[in-house]
Amino acid sequence: MQTFHIRYRNTQGTLMRILNAASRRALDLPMVQAEPSEHDHHVILALDVNQKQVGQLYREWYAIADVIKVASGAAHATPWASAHPPTGVSIEPSRAAARA
Amino acid sequence: MLKGAEIVLRCLRAEGVDLVFGYPGGAIMPLYDALEGSGVRHILTRHEQGAVFAAEGYARVTGQVGVAMATSGPGATNLVTGIADAKMDSVPLVCITGQVRSALIGTDAFQETDVFGVTLSLTKWSRLVRTIDEIPDAIAEGFYWARSGRPGPVVIDIPTDLLKAKKEFSGPVKFRPHARPADAKADGGFTDTIVALLKQSSKPVALVGAGAKLSGAIPELRRLLDELNIPTFATVHGLGAVPPQAPYYLGMVGMHGTRAANMALHETDLLLVFGARLDDRVTGDPTRFAPHAKIVHFEIDPAQLDRVRPCDLPVIGNLADTIPAFHAELRRHSLSDFSQWRSIACGAERAELDPRGLAQPTIRFLDELFSRVPQDSVVLADVGQHQMWAAQRYRSSSPRGFITSGGLGAMGFALPAAIGVQLAKPDTCVLCVSGDGGFQMNIQELATVHRLGLPVKMVIIDNKYLGMVRQWQQLFYQRNYAETDLSDNPDFVEIAKAYKIHSFRLNEDAMREFPVSNETGDQIDQFLRSPEPELLVFDCAPEANVFPMVPAGAALSEMLLEEEQTQ
Repeated sequence: MQTFHIRYRNTQGTLMRILNAASRRALDLPMVQAEPSEHDHHVILALDVNQKQVGQLYREWYAIADVIKVASGAAHATPWASAHPPTGVSIEPSRAAARA
Repeated sequence: MLKGAEIVLRCLRAEGVDLVFGYPGGAIMPLYDALEGSGVRHILTRHEQGAVFAAEGYARVTGQVGVAMATSGPGATNLVTGIADAKMDSVPLVCITGQVRSALIGTDAFQETDVFGVTLSLTKWSRLVRTIDEIPDAIAEGFYWARSGRPGPVVIDIPTDLLKAKKEFSGPVKFRPHARPADAKADGGFTDTIVALLKQSSKPVALVGAGAKLSGAIPELRRLLDELNIPTFATVHGLGAVPPQAPYYLGMVGMHGTRAANMALHETDLLLVFGARLDDRVTGDPTRFAPHAKIVHFEIDPAQLDRVRPCDLPVIGNLADTIPAFHAELRRHSLSDFSQWRSIACGAERAELDPRGLAQPTIRFLDELFSRVPQDSVVLADVGQHQMWAAQRYRSSSPRGFITSGGLGAMGFALPAAIGVQLAKPDTCVLCVSGDGGFQMNIQELATVHRLGLPVKMVIIDNKYLGMVRQWQQLFYQRNYAETDLSDNPDFVEIAKAYKIHSFRLNEDAMREFPVSNETGDQIDQFLRSPEPELLVFDCAPEANVFPMVPAGAALSEMLLEEEQTQ
């Protein structure tokens, strides 16, 4: 189980779009907590996901017009630590060689 | 004081809209009432699905936002397939739906559906307008999201009382988007990395998708590819982005791609992807997709990365920015000589089709047809076998010269979409190729073609089957042709006559001689040159199949090239 913290503008449908990214993957939503947070809103989700799904969810959430920030919280699994937008991750030797 | 409906139309004009497609009904009547004199021309289709596909056709050929209108309830739900299609194929589309009056929302009123909820997962953005004051903002923001980044569909649902209400109108507004992390672009560091990868590579290839067209970066892409001079292929939506006569071009890749393209993709050690989603029809078995390759993925939408297969270097941004940056870096280096790899990948021994396949009468017919269309024609294909035959055989140099429903695969797309294309390009030859199944899904739009006098050239490849499904049943379900038999099809020639559209039939015998007889050639020429709408029905062998074919779940290298391999 992994928790996700998503900051968003509370415009029509934005929370539903966030949840839909999970439900379209047939992921259960055992915990959802949404509330105002400073000038925006904030939702915490707990999801049982694999590493590939984490990446897909991050990117899909960021594609929603009024999502501001996505982060992983305390988790039993390793949090998804990649940058967004993603940068090259698996060709560092090539990059280093190119710059040498 | 203006009515809400008048404000909608003023805002549409401000967004550059002068043509909309739709179908009236109760809740949207105030908007129709305000159309006259608004500067917005409305095209009445005979079904809302026809309207949304026509709007898509307009958008796909122009790159501008297509607009469809429908009433509440069934009108709105009939738009849903088109909205899903626009989402899958990145088509800028704004759908304006009437809604029951505000006080009735949520009461299961007559013709009430929650179209906002129904389309939530299919749209980039949507809005159920709550006050007349919100109308200008909703339209401005909707058009912004439809156009921006990876284009897509938007729904704006407006209760009928707001369309009738009046307010002072100070003019259209401009939407100012807030800064978002996803809008960040790739830094310049990627360019030298790709050059390094190219220097290490001995078998690089390039894959071109729809993003190349959507970005408007076709000239930049073509210059880059000319310089790279590596084997290059395209997705179905990338067709036309690369001139087919380019010596390094191998045609379409994927499930029904050319043997040469699929082989090169299987063997490559470096895959440069320019604006393609890499969906399952392109990759085949993702675990065996480009198994030896590092993947560099140029993509505007981060959500498309790593869906099927992780890439090694994502390059996020508009191709109009990232391609020139890469090309500038490339010019500062000398690359390896890829001529040996090119000669293998592009060699004659990897001919695109078995010669017996080329002799198939339907292929001959399409070759004959496509050889006679003007250079700048737009060919639309519906969905099924004819779609893949057309994609394989039509060799367009025009980036927007081949249009089809690729991602969603929505049968019934082509005829109404051709209406939108012909309205956008009145002087262009618009050729609509359909199957007998798909044509009947929106056959009512023949009335729209006739009413407007559009010179659309319609072709039905009539095999009296749902051909692609039947092909799968033949190959993978032991010829159990369950519910795919359409042998009781109506006489399409007679149907066209009822719509006052000239129509005629060709059968396979006309294609047995090669080249075709003068008489057949003249018939085809007259069909294409007619200033009127025309329908040509080509009787196709019931069990003709599309090859090459990669079976679902197989690797691209496991393509079937001919019938015998399936026995």
